[in-house]
Parts: sequence; structure tokens; C-alpha cells
Amino acid sequence: MGSFDYAAKIPGLEAVDRYTLRIRLKQPDYNLPYVLAHEPTSAVAREIVAAYADEGGRIMSNPVGTGPYKLVKWVRSSKIVLEANPDYRGFVWDFKAGSDPEDAQIVKEMKGKKMPQVGRIEISIMEEDQSRLLAFQNGELDLMNLEGPLAPKVLNDGTLSPEMKKKGVKLSRFVDPEISYHYWNMMDPVVGGLSKEKIALRRAMAMAYPVAEEIKVVRNGQAVEAQFPIPPGVVGHDASYKSSVKYDPAAANALLDKFGYKKGADGYRTLPDGKPLLIRYASRPDSLGRQQDEMWKKTFDSIGIRMEVQKEKFAELLKLEKQCKLQMRTAAWIADYPDGDNFMQLLYGRNIYQSNNACAQIPEYDKLYEQALKMPDSPERNRLYHEMAKIIETYAPWRLDISRYRNMLVQPRVLGYKKHPILHQEWAYIDVAAEKK
Amino acid sequence: MANEIALKAPARTAREVPHTVSPGLWALAWKRLKSDHVGMVSLAIVVVFILMMIASGTGLIAGDWSKEVGVNYAAPSFIGADIEAGAPAAPAAPAAPAIPATEYKSDVVDPLADVLAELKGEKKPRAASAEPPAAGAGEKSVDPLADVMADIRKDAKDKKAEVAEARLPTLPLGGDKWGRDVLKKTIKGSETSIFVGLAAAAVATFLGTLFGAIAGYYGKWVDDAFNWFYSVFNAIPYLLLILAVAAVLQQKGTLTIILILGLTGWTGTFRLIRGEYLKHKAREYVQAADAIGASNARRMFVHIFPNVSHVVLVQLSIYTVGFIKAEVILSFLGFGVPVDVVSWGSMLNEAQNELILGKWWQLAAAGTAMAILVTAFSLFTDALRDALDPKLKGLAGA
Amino acid sequence: MTAYIIRRLWQMVPTMAGVIVLVFILFNWIGGDPAYVLAGKISNQEQIDNIRRQLGVDQPYYVQLWIFVKQVLTGDFGASWSTNERVSNILATRLGPSLTVLVPLLFLDTALSLTLALAVAYVRGSLTDRMVMIVCTIGLSVSVLVYIIVFQYFFAYKLGWFPVQGWGNSFLENLFVYSSLPILIALVVSIAPNLRLYRTFFLDEINQDYVRTGRAKGLSENRIMWIHVLRNASIPIITHLMAGLPGLLLGAFLIERFFSIPGIGREVILAVERSDFPVIKALTVYVAFATMASNLLADLMYKAADPRVQLK
Repeated sequence: MGSFDYAAKIPGLEAVDRYTLRIRLKQPDYNLPYVLAHEPTSAVAREIVAAYADEGGRIMSNPVGTGPYKLVKWVRSSKIVLEANPDYRGFVWDFKAGSDPEDAQIVKEMKGKKMPQVGRIEISIMEEDQSRLLAFQNGELDLMNLEGPLAPKVLNDGTLSPEMKKKGVKLSRFVDPEISYHYWNMMDPVVGGLSKEKIALRRAMAMAYPVAEEIKVVRNGQAVEAQFPIPPGVVGHDASYKSSVKYDPAAANALLDKFGYKKGADGYRTLPDGKPLLIRYASRPDSLGRQQDEMWKKTFDSIGIRMEVQKEKFAELLKLEKQCKLQMRTAAWIADYPDGDNFMQLLYGRNIYQSNNACAQIPEYDKLYEQALKMPDSPERNRLYHEMAKIIETYAPWRLDISRYRNMLVQPRVLGYKKHPILHQEWAYIDVAAEKK
Repeated sequence: MANEIALKAPARTAREVPHTVSPGLWALAWKRLKSDHVGMVSLAIVVVFILMMIASGTGLIAGDWSKEVGVNYAAPSFIGADIEAGAPAAPAAPAAPAIPATEYKSDVVDPLADVLAELKGEKKPRAASAEPPAAGAGEKSVDPLADVMADIRKDAKDKKAEVAEARLPTLPLGGDKWGRDVLKKTIKGSETSIFVGLAAAAVATFLGTLFGAIAGYYGKWVDDAFNWFYSVFNAIPYLLLILAVAAVLQQKGTLTIILILGLTGWTGTFRLIRGEYLKHKAREYVQAADAIGASNARRMFVHIFPNVSHVVLVQLSIYTVGFIKAEVILSFLGFGVPVDVVSWGSMLNEAQNELILGKWWQLAAAGTAMAILVTAFSLFTDALRDALDPKLKGLAGA
Repeated sequence: MTAYIIRRLWQMVPTMAGVIVLVFILFNWIGGDPAYVLAGKISNQEQIDNIRRQLGVDQPYYVQLWIFVKQVLTGDFGASWSTNERVSNILATRLGPSLTVLVPLLFLDTALSLTLALAVAYVRGSLTDRMVMIVCTIGLSVSVLVYIIVFQYFFAYKLGWFPVQGWGNSFLENLFVYSSLPILIALVVSIAPNLRLYRTFFLDEINQDYVRTGRAKGLSENRIMWIHVLRNASIPIITHLMAGLPGLLLGAFLIERFFSIPGIGREVILAVERSDFPVIKALTVYVAFATMASNLLADLMYKAADPRVQLK
């Protein structure tokens, strides 16, 4: 190891000429087009890397390409400034309206324009919700990502409040292609394993968790309950599927009683063999982490299990998680590319110590996954995914939680804006009406 | 007393000459303190808070602060119920509420199927419902465990109906986002915050005094060593020190915060006490103690310490105030109290995003309570310092 | 004097050594492993090991410590582990915004607290004195967090007197437009304790014999206060100011965060969150050095203000 030898010949990767890259595969990979379209994957000229690479070999502060914008200024964690690239080939805005009623307005505003229209873009990173929202309402920002905590201020049940509508502010809203899920470490001696009593323990915990309340209180209504491991907007999602895991603390208690998790003198349950039972829930030391702690505290109290919170910085959580040293945590995964495989691989046995943070190795699941891997999107693959979802519900390495809404607030003078779930930068597709300030 | 003796005794001999016992430092200080009105009022307020702390600590009041008795964001009673109160209801399932459930015949065997069936009786599966699942709502026939689940639920209903308590629309000082009573939280929070402040101050004062005494008394290389340690500690930015100590100790509760604040805050006291010990060491009474054979430890703590104890007391006071405020910042940084404990810091942290939503009561309650206590404590500290060391007040002043 | 200065500089060495070792131990032991975050969403052990090798954290401790010492001596701490920006660049670009808020704040704070403290010390014991002190005490009993939240909401948003947040490109714009509310908030928070402290210093002086002598000689109160008392009280005042300087730099992190000011305080929090050791190392060493330097400077000014002082 050390530095990468760019001159080495790699079978299957070939730069045919100045503008052509050829990739040969040994077996079909239906995800390759998605992976290539994914933002972090780009072909970059070798001369750029040679000229601009820093000690880490990265060129992100000097990206050189053929896109519509170039990076002008980058103050880390603070501000990014982009300016239109004069050498860009340009294109004419010519998209068709979809089923969304707002599409018609966008087409009217933008059709026929030569893109990009916006000459300069300033992106600010602001951690505090209050600062962000107040800045938007003051007109200091044109576009803003509205996070859950302050949503009630400007939204009424998913639409803009009357005062925002009066100002002409627009809202671009959809369910993000992501899922949040609570996982239990399947390799942990207390909560993991495939024995019936451990399965019962996990399913009881899953049944005791009030997702609806989390959505109402923690997320301010800006999320939907996740029923299927593949979220909306991703190929393989089934909008009609309903999970068999329901909120039922009484059933949870009955299940635990049945499997011998008896309540001790202090009112807390012990393991069937009489040893003390303590669940360690890991979370981040921020405001959301604290609310997650509170949700689970209520949950565990309702089934009489003692809980302890393990606070770690995010970096440390990742490390412990990848080493399968955490017992339980709430994690989230957003689609890298819009194919269901990106989500189902999270429980594949061979991804332990990588993206399989539940450290789960369920033989039936793995068998189905390997079959699905060889298939393109099809009813057969969907059937396999349904079976796999059932396995998740039955063996409970996860309890599916929510998928959050993405709300983008848009000032009236911004034209043609519609947030895209996978393509994260819309700069080249929008315009700003300069007159209305 | 002297007069009484004079009245009773017919004559005075040399042995019986009465003399007044001159009051010590503490008696004099107390007298001075009593005449300081602001100081006494502050003391009274502090005492009230401490009594409240004890009452809350023993569970007499605010013991059920964590119960969700109100609706989410319940308004304060003096405002009246807010028609907008409560977080917005969860929106209906998006996109496809009308699509009927598709039947998928599942091959998956549920290992718990027999147990769950046993826990329930016989029950026919109910018709599918399009509502998002809620406790007791209808089940989907897709679910292979539907019968089993329905029966468990039926069992539970037969046992007793667990009535969800009605949630109050208003609370005396309002409710937080979970519907917990802000008044009770404020009381319980004051217990935690004051306790953390006092305990951390005790730790910091103890360390600073101990180190300062040893350094100031022994001098020479001991002093140099302590001074070096002090400079290193002082040179590292306070913020980084706090974060480092917090990371070392790993979040294990309120004790962590006390240790974080105590272990990083001793430097001021160290300087002060070291100076005092340096000063006193050269005094005659210490030399006299040496002459009668008192050991070093005895000289340090039995002879000198009482003469610097008033400085220590004032430091303790100052630290308490400082640490109560610092706890708020620690909460903001994520190193606050754990989830089953409430403090002013955790309340203010929660209240950050509430003001802009128009829910100002938690911010006001915690902020005001803290302001009252800290003001009272600070004014009391001033009065204490003035009482113990009257030179500062000035000959011409009150 | 020169001998004293040289001796003090020489004494900085063991302190700095202590700081280096302490920071190294603390952040190596508990600082967390940045490799996992850098490795991204899907990564395997091989990639993580490779990253650790690149960062140099796989080498034995004494090698890493030696590298650290060399970095301190050359002043070059390399690049941030998370953003790859050169640490020297980070410090250079973030110092400006921090100082734009800090320097005017110090001037205003000192001028206001000194004047008020002197005035209040003059009428010591009177009702005005007590009222001002009580108001001060109430002022400093409210947490800075509350001030920020409330002021930002009312003065910036509701009343529109200031921008809610942000930082511009021109120095004047930053100074007069964006820094105003932050400076105001910081002022409210810091005047109160300073006022109380300076008042104590002044009262200490006012009780000295020379004041009585001055009055007996027929000097006006103004002259006594402004020239004699102020001059003599300046020693503890200067010490207090200088000692507090380095802490102020980092202490403004709350304000920087809420007002999106790209300053040093905010940078430190981010660095710790990401276990970005080079940035943490550099900041700690520089602030430690600044603390020692400002202490030395304070002592020297001591001597200049009061020739009786024996510097040992």
C-alpha cells in the first residue's frame, strides 16, 4: 500500500481515447449504471490528480470537470461559492410536466431557457435551526432545507401556513428515499442470536416502541412510518405493504412473561436464567440523540426493562458499530442510488463489519439476497424482497422506524425549483427572477 | 454578663476582674451580615431554594415530574388553552391510501408462531384497514401472526382496560413538548442544578485548597512542581480541557458533570490559597506552633487553615454560581445530565427551538428560576465577603 | 529586565512540554478514531487501515509524539484530517472573523466597565451604587444561551435591526453589519462581571492612605479618581484583561455558532466532534503559547505601571 499507481494496467478498465472510458464486467451487475451516476463516482483526468492532489491524494478543493459550475471559494464548514462555468456546453430546458400539479407552473417558467441561468451560488452551512429559519424569513436566503424541529412554524400538516403562502413562498416536499431503523446487535450475548427467547426479546422491544408518537412529538409530523425496508422513491418499494410489527405494549409484556423474563423485586425484568437484564442504547450527544433516549426510556419502562444510555461522538459510534461492539442503536440509511439492493444489502451476512450494522447473519436471508443480487428489477425480485422483509419482521434484527420528509422552502423569486430525491444539485435547472427582490 | 457579675459580687479581687470575651471572626462576620439587608434577603432566597432542593430530593415534591400529564406544548394556565396546542397530528399515509393490500403468500416460518398462538385463543383475522397502525386498531390479513396477535390483544382487553389518562390542556407554567409539567421540571431541575453547582464547587475548592496549601506551605521544589502543573493546566484552553475530561470520563450521569467541572476549575482557588499560605507561613503564630512541636500537617490544617477559611468559603460561593451557569453550556455541548434527570441546562437546551415556535414558557421558567437563584447567591456571596473582610467596604461607605 | 524576560521565556519550555504531552495523551487516548468517519458509508477493514496509515496514526506512540514536537517547533501542523485544508490556512482565515468581533468588544467593554466602575466606586455605598450592582448581578445571572436565543429572535428577526446571521466579504461590512448584534450580546454578558470586579479593585485603592492624603492636600475628586486611583488600580485590571484574552478567543464559540461566524471557537468544536487531531493540536499549542505570552506581557506592564514591583 501507499500511493496508488495510476499507470498500472487494470483488466476491465480502459481509457480508449481522450473522451471514452470502457468498463468490462465478468458477470452482470445491474447496479453499475446507478453506481456510475452516483455523485462520488466520477472519471477525472489524470493530469488533474497529478497537479492538484494534496497529501491525502484528494483533489476536492480543485475539482476540474466539464460541469455547469466551478468552485470559486470554499471556507470549510462555513461557505461554498460556485460560479457558472463559461466553458460549459449548456443545454436548453425542455422537460415535460409529470403528474404533479405544480409541474405545469415549472414548465411555464422555464421552458426554452438556455441553462444554466444562475450565475453565482452561495451555499452556507448553518447548524442552528433558529438561525436558518429566521434568515430565510428575513430574505437572507433563497432556498432552505427545513428540518423537523421548526417545521410547525411554517407548515400546517404538510402544506405551507397561510402567512407563508401570502408571501409567495413555495414548498418542495416529498418523502426522502431513506429509512431510519432501530437495530440490535445480533452478535451480542444479551440481545443477539436466533434462539426463540432472544427473538421474543427483540420482538417485544419492537412491539413496545410507539412510532406514531415519535413522528408526532420528535419529528413534528415530518415523517411517515416505514413499513418496508425499501423506502418510497426507490425501485423495489411497495407502497401497499404493511409491516406485521405493530405497536402493542400489552402483547410485548405478555410475550416477555411467556418466555421467562420475570420481573424482579425492583420491578425490572431479568433474563430467563435469573441474571440481571440491562439494555445499552447508544446515541449521539446532541438534541436528537436525547429525544431518542427519551423515546426508548418510555418504551423500556412500559415493558419493565432496565435501560442504560451510552453516549459517544458520531465517529466513535461508527467505529464501535463497525466492530460490532454496540448493543443497540437507531441508525439511518439514505439511498445512494435508487435501487432496492442498496437497502437490502444492509442485512447481508457478508457485509458484517461494513454496512451491516446489526451484524446479522441469518442464513435464510442471505440465501434470498444472493438470488436477488443476480436479478434486475422484476416481479420475481420483488417477491424475494417481500420474503426478506418478512424475515426481518420475524427475526427482528431491526425494528423499522420512519422515513423523513424533505422540505425545501423556496422564495418566490426562485423559478423552476423542484427538489430531486437522488440528484442533489439542481443549480443548473433553476432560475432567479431578478426584479422581484 | 459582666454587669451581672458586678451586681452580684460585693467586691472584686484580682482574680475575679471580669473581662469581655472578644467575639471571633465568625461571630463578628455574622453580626455584620445581619445588618446587611440585601445580604439577608439574598440568604433567605438561597435558603428557600435549598429547602426546595431537599424537598424535591427526598421526593416530597415534583417526584413525578417525568409523567406526561399535559398535551404536547400545553399552554400556561394564565394564558389559557392554546387552540393550536399540541404537535401537529401525524399526516395520513402518503401516496397510496387507496391501494388495497396485496396478498403475498409467505414461505417464512415464524419461530414464535406456536407461542403467539398459545398466548391467544382462536380468532378470525379481521378485514384489512387502511389506517396507519395504532394500538388496538385493525390488523392486516397479510400478517401470518394476525390471529395470534389479535388474541393476545383480546386477552389483554379482557384483563383490564388500561385507560389512557386524559391529558390536561393547560398546566400552571405550561408543558414541554412531551407534555411534562414545566413547574415540576423547574423545581426538580433546580435540585439537580444546585446540587451539581455545590458538589462541583466542593470538588474544585477542595482540590485548589489542598494543592495551594501544599504548594504554599512547603515551598521550594514542591511549589515549583505544583506551579508547573498549574501553568500547564491553565495554558490549555478551558473549552478543550472540558471536552477532553468529558470524553475520558464517558457519560455516566450527573457525577460526570460534577467531576468535569470540579477537575477543571480548581486553578483559581489554587492561586489564591497558595498566596495565602505563603503569607501566613512566615507569620509568628506558625513559628510558635513549630516551637511547640506541631507537625507540618497539623500546622497546615489546624493552625493556618482556620485563618484562610473565609477565603475558601467565598471561593466556594463563587464557584457554585459559576458552575451552575457552566452546566447550561455543558448541556448545550451534549455533556449534560442523562435522560432520566432534568436540570436547568437540559430545560434551556430543549427550549432553544421553542421560542421561535411561540412556546416561550419553558425558556422563561428555567431562565427566571436560574436568574433568581444566581442573583441571590451572588449578592449573598458579596455580602459574605464584605462581612468577612470589612476593609473592602470602605470606611466611608455603608 | 532582559535577564528577567529571557528567564521567563526559558520557563515557558517545561510548561509547553507539559502541554504537549498532556494534549497528546488526552487526544490519543480518548480523542476517537477519525478513520471510520473518513472511510464513508460503505467501507471495509482494509480501507480503514489504509486511511489510518495515511493519517499516520498507526505508528507507535513515541514516533507520533516526536512528530508532534517537530510540528510545534516548525509551526506546521499539516492538514486537517477531515477537510484537508492546511491547518495554518484554517487558523489564518478563522482568526480574522473572531478578532473582528473580539477587538471592538474588548475596547467597548473595557471603556464602559472602567467608566461605570469608577463612577460607581466614587458613589460607593449610595443607592445608585447598590442599584447598579444589583442590576449587574441580575444581568450576569442569565445564561448567555438565553441572551443569544432571545436577542436573535427579537432584535434581529422581530424588529429587523440586525441581520439574523451571516458573514460577508468586506471587512467594513463584517464589522458594522454582521458583528453588531454578536458584539452587543457579548457586551451584555461581559460588562456585568467586569464592572463588579473593577469596582472591587477601585475600592481597594480608594481605601489606601494616599487617597486620604490627596484629599487632605486639596486635590479634586476627579483628579484623585481618574489619575491616581485609576493608575494604581491598573495593575490588577491589566492582569485580568491579559489573562482573559486567550480564553475569549475560544469562548465565543456559542455566538459564532448561532450567528454563523466562521471563527476559531466554532472551528474547535467542529474539530473535536470530528476527532480532527491536527487542528486540535495546533489550536491548543497556539492558545497555550498565547496564554503564557500574555501572562508575561501582563507582568511586564505591571513593572511599567508600578516601579515598586519586584519581578522575580
